[in-house]
Amino acid sequence: MIILNELTKKFGELTAVDRLNLTVSSGELFGFVGPNGAGKTTTLRMMAGVLKPTSGRIIIDNKDLAENPLECKKIIGFIPDNPFLYEKLTGRETLHFIAGIYKLPQDGLEKRIEHLFELFEIDSWRDELIESYSHGMKQRLVMASTLIHQPKVIIVDEPMVGLDPKATKMVKGIFRSLCQRGITIFMSTHTLQIAEEMCDRIGIINQGKLIALGTMKELREMSGLPAKELEAVFFRLTGEENDIRIPRILETY
Amino acid sequence: MVKNLILFFLGLLFWVGIFIVFFRVLLYFQGIEAIGDILAAKLLSMVFLCLFSILIFSNIVTALSTYFLSDDLGAIISYPISFGEIYFSRFIETIVNSSWMVLFFGFPVFLAYGMVYQPGPSYYLMLIAVLIPFFLTPAGIGSIMTLLLVTLLPARRLKDILILLSISLFVALYIFFRLLQPERLVDPEAFSGLMDYIASLQAPASPFLPSQWAVDCLSPILLGGKSNLFFLGLLWITGLAILAIGEEIFSRMYFEAWSKSQEAKTAKISRSKFVNSMLNFFVRPFSPTTQALLIKDLKVFFRDTHQWPQLFLIIALIAIYLYNFRVLSLDKSPLPTFYLQNLVSFLNLGLAGFVLAAVAVRFSFPAVSMEGKSFWIIRSAPLELKGFVQTKFWMNFFFLFILAEILTIYSNYLLNATRFMMILSAVTIGLMTFGITSLGIGLGAYFPRFKVANVAQIPTGFGGVVYMILAMGFIGLIVILEARPVYILFMARLKMASLTFWEFLEIVLSFLGVGVINVLAFFLPLKFGMEKLSRIEDI
Repeated sequence: MIILNELTKKFGELTAVDRLNLTVSSGELFGFVGPNGAGKTTTLRMMAGVLKPTSGRIIIDNKDLAENPLECKKIIGFIPDNPFLYEKLTGRETLHFIAGIYKLPQDGLEKRIEHLFELFEIDSWRDELIESYSHGMKQRLVMASTLIHQPKVIIVDEPMVGLDPKATKMVKGIFRSLCQRGITIFMSTHTLQIAEEMCDRIGIINQGKLIALGTMKELREMSGLPAKELEAVFFRLTGEENDIRIPRILETY
Repeated sequence: MVKNLILFFLGLLFWVGIFIVFFRVLLYFQGIEAIGDILAAKLLSMVFLCLFSILIFSNIVTALSTYFLSDDLGAIISYPISFGEIYFSRFIETIVNSSWMVLFFGFPVFLAYGMVYQPGPSYYLMLIAVLIPFFLTPAGIGSIMTLLLVTLLPARRLKDILILLSISLFVALYIFFRLLQPERLVDPEAFSGLMDYIASLQAPASPFLPSQWAVDCLSPILLGGKSNLFFLGLLWITGLAILAIGEEIFSRMYFEAWSKSQEAKTAKISRSKFVNSMLNFFVRPFSPTTQALLIKDLKVFFRDTHQWPQLFLIIALIAIYLYNFRVLSLDKSPLPTFYLQNLVSFLNLGLAGFVLAAVAVRFSFPAVSMEGKSFWIIRSAPLELKGFVQTKFWMNFFFLFILAEILTIYSNYLLNATRFMMILSAVTIGLMTFGITSLGIGLGAYFPRFKVANVAQIPTGFGGVVYMILAMGFIGLIVILEARPVYILFMARLKMASLTFWEFLEIVLSFLGVGVINVLAFFLPLKFGMEKLSRIEDI
């Protein structure tokens, strides 16, 4: 469903993403983890068609994103890390707007919008201006807006930021349910525990390069830590296991 | 660096312009016997009163931000710092932010007085001694009023209300001032008795306000006498007293007011079904994507209170613009009325164009930038940027076209212009609207500012300056190209002669040139704007 082929992005002298190659199958929940500044958000923005790659190809459902941007975007739903919305629109107006730009038919649209508000438990706020929403509510509204056009691929950057435990559990359940229906989810996260719990496969990126890829079992074997959780595996693979800066700094505190 | 230099020179130009205007007015007043100095004092009184009013409102709005809406306040209040200390530190910030521009653009007025009356160094020393408490007082009043208002109203809604109130007051004052026809003050024939006239000038307008005390300190020195230190003392005592009272009030009430300001803002309910039905009806002819974009843009525009002050100002300026044509006494001119009417009508084309450009820089230029940080929605949607930009163009064109035709046709009607000038003006301004709108949308796409919090700041950047220069150039070029054919046609009519071949060719080539420039002004900015927008990565 998703193929990244030699995907590269440079900002001047800085190589943010360096010849990334990976494939994600249909119905897979793929986790993309890495330290700050590793290139996760840049990769996701390229996949969503918001950022143009320096080189390489992105294939979504057998279509090249560069050659068929509109066709690919029709089947992609993008959830950015910061849920900036039109503050002066209500929740309902936002979903109508999204439905309009995705050219969704009017038949059944209102019912679908109501269903999404109920699903994400923001139905009591649907007619309030977004400027009065909390961060978590905006995040939920963005997720609702992503699902309105029934995408085949969902690209999501840090989905759990700002969500309370109940909402986090809800989103986990929704994502798993979507994958069971054949929708592909490509998700980046800082929270290794969430990646470990939710994802079918995990890719670890560091300094723009994919340094590890596989299921949890495969990653453990790769790192030589067969019984360890993802955090230890992550630190082993990214070479940050023996960071002794903190104790040294605290000695002089 | 270049942008800052351009802005600096524009500010300097405006500063010099104020100085020149006041210098010439004061020189004129000096030449009027018996009442010239009284007129000068009256003008100074009006200036100080105006500054005082502006400072009060400016300080209220600024104090709201510095004392209640600033992002660092949460941290500062958690530190072991007394509320009195917070009051003083923020007071300095408030007075600087609210007053620097008033001081910068007010100073040429004081300098003009100094240059005309040449009172010596004591005037400038007194000026410093007067201005310090003069700025202190409205800052103190503004801060106290803000504190009291915040305890009554939600802070975030209060800011919008205050901005609207201040602009409404400014607009009302501007219209009131224009309708007063202040030029009558220099025409004593407008008054039935000389004594009535002098009496009306001499009476101080506001004897209990610090603005009048400031004038009472400076006027004697300007006329070669000694200053009345009583009023200087009054200014200082008032300023310092208000500062001390403010500190006491803040120490007692600030924390309560701050806590209130942290309450969630009142959420609005959806707009009425009637409005939504109307909107849906008017956008029905368009594609679903265009409908969605139009409805979204219209709702966001009218709900953003940052736009309202600009709308009010534009409406007021247009009302004054048309009123000026109504009172224009062309029959008192030595030039033939027919000639003058149509000359003014033709020049009005340029003026109307400039008004249109001024409106477009405020509303069309920011159109793309108004997407703000939500622009990712447009970029990630299956939506061509071309369609997005074109929707912005046509929506803005619709409103600007209506405005352009109203301005031109109505002003020509007031001027009793010929049918030919009516048609020429209507067609020319209609065509120019394409170029003016395209320049606005295109350059707005070329110089987008998605991260600006206040949309009213968007036109004040480098891109806005470039737009105004190009728009003025475009309008000027059209007017110049049409001047010759219009002159030829009118001369032919006046002489009752037919056109020669060369005159006819000249007319055709001129209008052809106008057409070509209009076409270029329509296509090129949009093309370059779209290309630049598609390459933007930092969203």
